[in-house]
Amino acid sequence: MTKARIAIVWALVGVPLAYGIFMTLTRVTALFGG
Amino acid sequence: MSWLDRDHTIAPPGFNRWLIPPAALAVHLCIGQAYATSVYKTALVEHFDVSLTQIGFIFSIAIVMLGLSAAIMGTWVDRSGPRKAMFVAALFWSSGFLIGSMGIFSSQLWLVYLGYGVIGGIGLGIGYISPVSTLIKWFPDRPGLATGMAIMGFGGGALIASPVSTALMAFYDPNSGVEGWVASGDAVAKLFLTLAVIYLAYMMFGAFTIKVPAADWKPAGFDASKVKVKSLVTSNNVSAANSIKTKQFWLVWIVLFCNVTAGIGILEQAAPMIQDFFRQPDGTSLVTAVVAGGFVGLLSIANMGGRFVWSSTSDVTGRKRIYMVYLGVGTVAYVLLALLGSSTTALYVVLAFIIISFYGGGFATVPAYLRDLFGTFQVGAIHGRLLTAWSAAGIAGPLIVNGFLDAQGTPGELTAQAYQPALLTMAALLVVGFIANLMVKPVSDRFHESVVVRPEDLELAGDRK
Repeated sequence: MTKARIAIVWALVGVPLAYGIFMTLTRVTALFGG
Repeated sequence: MSWLDRDHTIAPPGFNRWLIPPAALAVHLCIGQAYATSVYKTALVEHFDVSLTQIGFIFSIAIVMLGLSAAIMGTWVDRSGPRKAMFVAALFWSSGFLIGSMGIFSSQLWLVYLGYGVIGGIGLGIGYISPVSTLIKWFPDRPGLATGMAIMGFGGGALIASPVSTALMAFYDPNSGVEGWVASGDAVAKLFLTLAVIYLAYMMFGAFTIKVPAADWKPAGFDASKVKVKSLVTSNNVSAANSIKTKQFWLVWIVLFCNVTAGIGILEQAAPMIQDFFRQPDGTSLVTAVVAGGFVGLLSIANMGGRFVWSSTSDVTGRKRIYMVYLGVGTVAYVLLALLGSSTTALYVVLAFIIISFYGGGFATVPAYLRDLFGTFQVGAIHGRLLTAWSAAGIAGPLIVNGFLDAQGTPGELTAQAYQPALLTMAALLVVGFIANLMVKPVSDRFHESVVVRPEDLELAGDRK
């Protein structure tokens, strides 16, 4: 139960953060000619 | 409101401490939106028909209020506990957006200053410091990692808010498909309303997830006596009121001020600066606006990643040594950037990445540095007082950079040489910070609390004050 709760709580902050990093990295590709 | 008090948030036996960092992150990811204001700046300039400086003033007020509220409310935050502090921060931050949206709907710029700037800024300050001392108490074995995880969120918040805000403004504005589109004031106001609701919910999630450790709690296998092995790590405690009477507080203040001022020097002008560094004799730049945008994104990653990586590393190296790296290697990086940065874009990007990662690292490591020097007793309140260095740097950084650049011309139309005075000044500032850090010694016994507060007694000590 505790592990499931930890997974959910981390997902609630981790998913938006991963989305933000992904969106930023797509912008960064321009720097490397992508 | 007593149900929000510290006494009602003590963790039961068996509570897993890894539930605490996401609670702290939830708050910092929300208030980190403050660094994403550029996405609607142009829209507000057009809506209010004012200058960019007048719109930029909204952000400036918020950062000044962050420092002031953190300094003034720090003791209250430590006394009341993280849940009440996060709850109040959520109300202020969310109300700031609500009042700001009313200001945009009614075309009253002063309401945006009052809402987002003053009221939201208070939410920023309380929210920023609210989970810090709790994290340090839950992770006495790895305080740098713990504060790094939370304060990383402040850097990460902008990464989320920026694309989400752009998408929401496009959703709310029927003209969003038009070429050269700038969002309408109505769309920005609706964005503010939406963010008010989202941030309120997210920060409340953080507030109702966070708990403080019980008085007799300690991590499995943790031996508090081993913490004393490092010379600067005290097992004594200094009150917030006494901390500002110590030389150490002001030396760390100077360290933070210099580190932040130098970082802002690059962040403020990141996009035009990289274009100017690679300007050709015919006036064009080898770096396009799109590539410059990618560079700004990379700096955001460096800012966020540096907070986590460097702060975690400080648990191994010690805080004083890691600041010697931030300030010493940072100085070298700044000098190389000023003198050789225009030779290749790769070198320029690598140096700027290092400098900004140190900028983020400086923010995230400082609570653990304060814990080492002053103990955990009122570290949140001491951290709050120290954040006035951030407010001061927020004013000094742009003043220094713009002061030098204004004498040279307009950013976006300059060359690499025009930046040398500003960059070398920043390097000199880092040397000042390096010397200040070298001078940091353990705090004199006369400032210690008369009753020895052991790490496992911290909550009792907090109640006593």
